[in-house]
Amino acid sequence: MKLPRGLPGRQELVLLGLLIGLLLLAGRLAPDFLTARAQIELSTHVWELALLALPMTLIILTAGIDLSVGSTMALCAVVFGLTFHAGWPVALDAALALAVGAAAGALNGVFVAFVRVHPLIVTLATLAAYRGIAEGISLGVPYSGFPPSFAFLGQGSVGGIPVPGLLFLVALAAVAVIVKFTPLGLTLSAIGYNETASRFSGLAVTRIKLWLYTGSGLTAGVAALLFAARRNTAKADIGTGMELDVITAVVLGGTSIFGGRGTLLGTVLGVLLIHETREFVSWEWSRDELNLIVTGSLLLVSVLADSLLSPKKR
Amino acid sequence: MRNNARSLLLLLLLLAAALLVGCGKHTESPTASSTAASGGKQITVCLLPKKKGLAYFTSCADGAQQAAKELGDVNLIYDGPTDGAPEKAASLIETWTLKGADAICVSPNDPSVLAPAMKAARAKGAHVLTWDADGQPDSRDYFVNQATSEQIGGALVDAMAKDLGGAQPTGKVAIVTATLTAANQNEWIAMMKERLKKYPQMQLVAIKPCNEDQSVAFQVTQDLMKAYPDLKGVFGISSVSFPGAAEAVKQAGKTGQVLVTGLSTPNAMKAYVQDGTVKSVILWNTQDLGYLTVYAAEALATGKLKPGATTFKAGRLGEKKIQGDNILLGNILVFTKDNIGKYDF
Repeated sequence: MKLPRGLPGRQELVLLGLLIGLLLLAGRLAPDFLTARAQIELSTHVWELALLALPMTLIILTAGIDLSVGSTMALCAVVFGLTFHAGWPVALDAALALAVGAAAGALNGVFVAFVRVHPLIVTLATLAAYRGIAEGISLGVPYSGFPPSFAFLGQGSVGGIPVPGLLFLVALAAVAVIVKFTPLGLTLSAIGYNETASRFSGLAVTRIKLWLYTGSGLTAGVAALLFAARRNTAKADIGTGMELDVITAVVLGGTSIFGGRGTLLGTVLGVLLIHETREFVSWEWSRDELNLIVTGSLLLVSVLADSLLSPKKR
Repeated sequence: MRNNARSLLLLLLLLAAALLVGCGKHTESPTASSTAASGGKQITVCLLPKKKGLAYFTSCADGAQQAAKELGDVNLIYDGPTDGAPEKAASLIETWTLKGADAICVSPNDPSVLAPAMKAARAKGAHVLTWDADGQPDSRDYFVNQATSEQIGGALVDAMAKDLGGAQPTGKVAIVTATLTAANQNEWIAMMKERLKKYPQMQLVAIKPCNEDQSVAFQVTQDLMKAYPDLKGVFGISSVSFPGAAEAVKQAGKTGQVLVTGLSTPNAMKAYVQDGTVKSVILWNTQDLGYLTVYAAEALATGKLKPGATTFKAGRLGEKKIQGDNILLGNILVFTKDNIGKYDF
C-alpha cells in the first residue's frame, strides 16, 4: 500500500520529470504559451476533467470504475436546460441537475454495492442508458440563453483564478483532508487490495461504495453545470468520451487499475500532464491527430516506467 | 535489480526527452518563419473543419493551401477535432485567439457551443468567418456559402427524380442525414420537402440520423430497406451517410432496385457510380470552397474586403458575389458516370 507520506512517490517523480521536460520544451519553442495569461485562459479547458478525476481516483482505488460520468454529465445538462427552458428559476434548475447527477450515481452505487454486479458492467450499462435518456428527453435540442449570473460560474474569475478552478481547488483540498486525516484513505486501499478481507474486518464496504458512486454522479452534475455555463449550451452530446479522458488521467497518475494503490497528487499531476501536452500540441503543431498519439504514448511510457520500478510485479 | 530498473527508466526518460526535442527541432523553421512573418505583415489564417480527417474537409484544405500559396502573405493553420467534438473545436478557437490569429474560419459543428468562443475571438480583434456551415449571425463577419440550401435541396430531389426516370417519377424515398441537430442538413431537408411537391408520386417515408458514423448509416439503410421493402430511393445527405447508404444497398444486392443519391466527394463514390448503385453525386467544388474561404479571410484581414461590398476578387475564381453577409461560391456540381473520372478529390 502506498499512501502519501510527505514525499512524492516514484510515479509522481516520473510525471513531474515529464511535465518539467514538456514545459522546458514549450518555453524554448513557444514562450507565449507559458505566459500566465495564456495558461489561465487555457486552463478553462481542463477543469471539468480535473474535477471528475477526484472521485474517479477514489473509485479506482477500490478496484472499481465509473464509465458513466460523461453520460451523467449529459443527463444533468439536459435536465438543467429543460427546466430552465420551462421558465423555472436558474438556481432551482441547477439544484435539480445536481440532484439528478447524485441520483444517477447512487443508482450505479446500489448495483455495485448491494447487488454486487461488477462496476465495469453496471456503469457500461448506464453509460449507454443515461446518454439515451438525455437524448430522449431533449430530442437532441440544444438549450442556451442562460443568464450572465449563471455564465459567471463557467466564465468568471475571482482574483485572477477562473471560478471552476477555485471550485476544483476547494474540492481537491476537501478530498485530500478526508483521505489523509480520516481512516477513509486506508479503507479505500484496503477494499481495493482485498474486498473480502475488508468486509470480514468490519469495514463498511457497502456503504462506502454507495457514497463513492453517488459522489461521482454529483461531481458529473457539477461538471455539467460548468460546461453549460462556459459554453452557454446544454445538450445531450456533451461529455462524450469524457470517461476515457478521466480514466486516462487517473491511471497516468499512477493509480493502479486493479485498485489498492494510488495518490491524489499523482492524479493531479496526471491531469496536468495530459492538459499541458494537449494544449501545447494544439498550440505549436496544430495537429489534433498528434494529440491522440502523444496521449497514448504518455500513458504507455509512464506505465512502463512504473512497472519497471515496482519492487514486485503485480 | 533496483539499480537495473533505475537505469532503464533513466534511459527511457532520456529517449522521451530526445524525442520531444527532436520534434521541436523539426518544426523550428516554420516557427521561426511565422515569428518573422508577424513582423512582416504575414497574416495568420486558421481554418477549422467540423471533423478533421474526412476526405471532404481534406479536399477543402487542399484548396485553402493553394490559396495561401498564391497569396504569399498567408500563414495557414488547418486543424480541428478528429472526433468532431464541438467543445474541442471551441477550445481550438480559444487557443488561436490567444495566439493572435488574424482570421479564424469556422465550419461549426454546433453553432450554439461555438458561439461564445467565436464572439470572444471577434471581441479580441480577430476576423471570424464561417464556411461550409453557418453559425449564429452575430458570431461571425461573413459566411462563405458553398451553395444556397435551395440549390442543394433542389438539386438532390431533381437528381433522384431524373434517376428514377419517367415523366412522373414514382416511389418511396428516405433520407439518411448526419444528426438531427445538424443545421445544414435540416435546412436542406426543408428545401427537399419543398421541391418534392413538384413530384407528387415521390413519397418521403423516413428521415433517419446516422450521427456522422458510416457504420451507423449502413445499419440505418439496411433497416430502412427491411421496413419499406418497396423503397425506391435513399438520399445520403452527408459525406458520411452517403457511402454508408450505398454500401448497404450494394451488399443487399439491390443495386439498381434502390437508387442512392446524395452529397459526397467524387472519389468516395466512384466505385458506386461505376457499378450503378449511384447514378448522381451532388456536390460543390470543395477545393474552390477552401480556396475562396482563405481569399475572403485574407481580404478581410488586410482591409481589401470592406463591409457593404457586393463583390470581391478571389484569385482564379474571379469576381465573387456577396449577398448581405454571405459570400457565395455558388455552383452545384453533379457527378455522373460520364464526368466523375475527371475529378480527383
